[in-house]
Amino acid sequence: MKVKKIILASHGTDGARAAELAAIDLCVEKGASLHQLLVVPDFWKGMMGDDWLNNAVTQIRFGNYVESQLAQEAAAELERMTQACDQAGINYSNTVRLGKPAICLLDVAGQDDFGLAVIGSPRPKGVEGYRSRMDLELLARSLTMSLIVVPYPKP
Amino acid sequence: MVYTKKHPALLIMGIIFVAIAYLADSGGISGLIDYLKAGKYAGEMVGMGYAFGAVAVVVGLWHLAGSHEEGNLDYYMSTVAGAIFILLVAMLVRWYLAPLVALISTGLGPVMGAKYLHQVLGLNYVVLGIVAGIIIVNVFKIPEWAENGVRLSRFGLKTGVILLGTLYSLAELQSLGKLSAIMVGFFVLGSVGLVLFLGKRRNIPSSMGGVLSAGMGVCGVSASVAAAPVVQAKAVEIAYTIGTILIWGVGCMFLFPVIGHILDLGHIQFGAWAGTGILNSAQVAGAALAYQPDGIETLKVAEIFNITRVLFLPIIVLWLAVWYVKQEGGETTQQVNVGAVIFEKFPVFVLGFILMFALSSTGVFAPAQHYKGKYFDNNVKQSMLLKDDQISAVSSEMGKLQRDDRKQALKRMLDNRKVMTIDDETVIRGIYNAKVLSKDANKVLKGATKAVRHTAKKISKFRQWITLLFAFGLTGLGMQITFASMKQAGGQPLVIGGIVGTTKAVLSLIVILFFVSETI
Repeated sequence: MKVKKIILASHGTDGARAAELAAIDLCVEKGASLHQLLVVPDFWKGMMGDDWLNNAVTQIRFGNYVESQLAQEAAAELERMTQACDQAGINYSNTVRLGKPAICLLDVAGQDDFGLAVIGSPRPKGVEGYRSRMDLELLARSLTMSLIVVPYPKP
Repeated sequence: MVYTKKHPALLIMGIIFVAIAYLADSGGISGLIDYLKAGKYAGEMVGMGYAFGAVAVVVGLWHLAGSHEEGNLDYYMSTVAGAIFILLVAMLVRWYLAPLVALISTGLGPVMGAKYLHQVLGLNYVVLGIVAGIIIVNVFKIPEWAENGVRLSRFGLKTGVILLGTLYSLAELQSLGKLSAIMVGFFVLGSVGLVLFLGKRRNIPSSMGGVLSAGMGVCGVSASVAAAPVVQAKAVEIAYTIGTILIWGVGCMFLFPVIGHILDLGHIQFGAWAGTGILNSAQVAGAALAYQPDGIETLKVAEIFNITRVLFLPIIVLWLAVWYVKQEGGETTQQVNVGAVIFEKFPVFVLGFILMFALSSTGVFAPAQHYKGKYFDNNVKQSMLLKDDQISAVSSEMGKLQRDDRKQALKRMLDNRKVMTIDDETVIRGIYNAKVLSKDANKVLKGATKAVRHTAKKISKFRQWITLLFAFGLTGLGMQITFASMKQAGGQPLVIGGIVGTTKAVLSLIVILFFVSETI
């Protein structure tokens, strides 16, 4: 299978890191470039819930604070991947999106001629993390390229 | 950015409101109204239908056909679509869905003593409105044209609380204020302390302990939102905490009224329990209105507790800020600015509540010497005078009274077939509150005092507006509760929150059952 561009959906969890390693190996093997998609889950839009007591100043402060936290986390992830790709000698680029993981992946994957998509496995039960999973059924139905789901790393 | 959407939705909603008003006015839906036993809302359907319909049609035409430019006019007028959307949902639930649920529930027969299923579960227009809001946001999503206006719901609630200030007497406010300060003070500080203690035992980070303790202790999501930047909580900690609090709050809103009915709690007892035990302040109001849909006595008690809690918020945020700096060795955060924290977190709408209470006390809204918005006037209709059988029911029990002032007040009432003075009314109220006489005699006394108390027209209007504002506010807040955010509940916050939330709910119920009476 000839592949020039690989798209990787990763947001730094253990499962996603396994997918990162696999994607880097594949890029080296195939001589392909790597594009990373980092999705900030859209549940954050509803995270102020039914707060009605706070004034606008407090709500704006909270919104800005959460935004800066998410931006810091995203920046750290992208920096880590940049370094890893530099070390491997791979051409690397990235996109950050707010939304549902599978929908964002389908959208970004459709914008370039990617030949392969790489994602991590869903987090096993009991492992802590955000409840924002990739909709595998949607990907299987709609993705127009090969998809590799990398197994979750063994403890 | 231009906020107003060129969309026909507002115009269509206006036409629906006008159509409802016309049909209710002309008798076109009288069969439906009779079937649903919703006759008491017919006046609202006409009045509010025409009023809101007219606003929606006019603004809707402007939304659709007008040219919109960036600016204040665009920003504020864009909110009308969302506000009318909430109102339409809230009113359809109030006028048609809630009566239909009551009809079906009544048809099933009583399930607990004389109570029907919808009464036990508190399935009235307020709870159904919140549920409708939750369904809309999670199943259909909030339409883009309504997004800006849906946020107005919090102003509805704040305005409702401010207007509620008109309905308290000084004595009532003093008694409830003392009770709430003791209960909330103990349980807020206790919960915050317990979360921090359990957090240390379970080795959670200080930032997670801080944001969780504010939410569990003070007023739920609002407190977590206020505390998160102060204790520098990480994103995942915020997600876990707010998810946990939302699940807990929504669960309690349905569970508390059921338990309240099982234990047959009075309005003061339930209001005090909900005001202490339910984490989220919006759900406190929801549970209070669920428990007593046709009156606002429970809401009045619950809201005093809510106000007390929110007054604790700046203090707790300050405490957590100092605690966090200390935990982190004073290196990671800037020095705590006490004045700025207090000023920023102070709930300004509480000043509005106090202002309305003060204005009401001066007699602006009701004649002087009014009590809870009702004033004394013994010019009662002939039909309201005491009947012979009622007089004999009370006079046969006169011997049970010991105090002379009580005997004389009662004698004057029996001689004149009505309560004669405001002082007599106070004494007679004391007699039935003391429960010295039989139930039948007490019923006569209650009826006699009720006959000489008249609700001031302005106060009556306030009551109506308060109910509507809370229905509007809570339906709108329902539209902001997403399953995706509730699903984030997990990790240590779920464990610690479960322990502390349950402990607080159970202990506060025990305290209320043993120490809070039904008379203020």
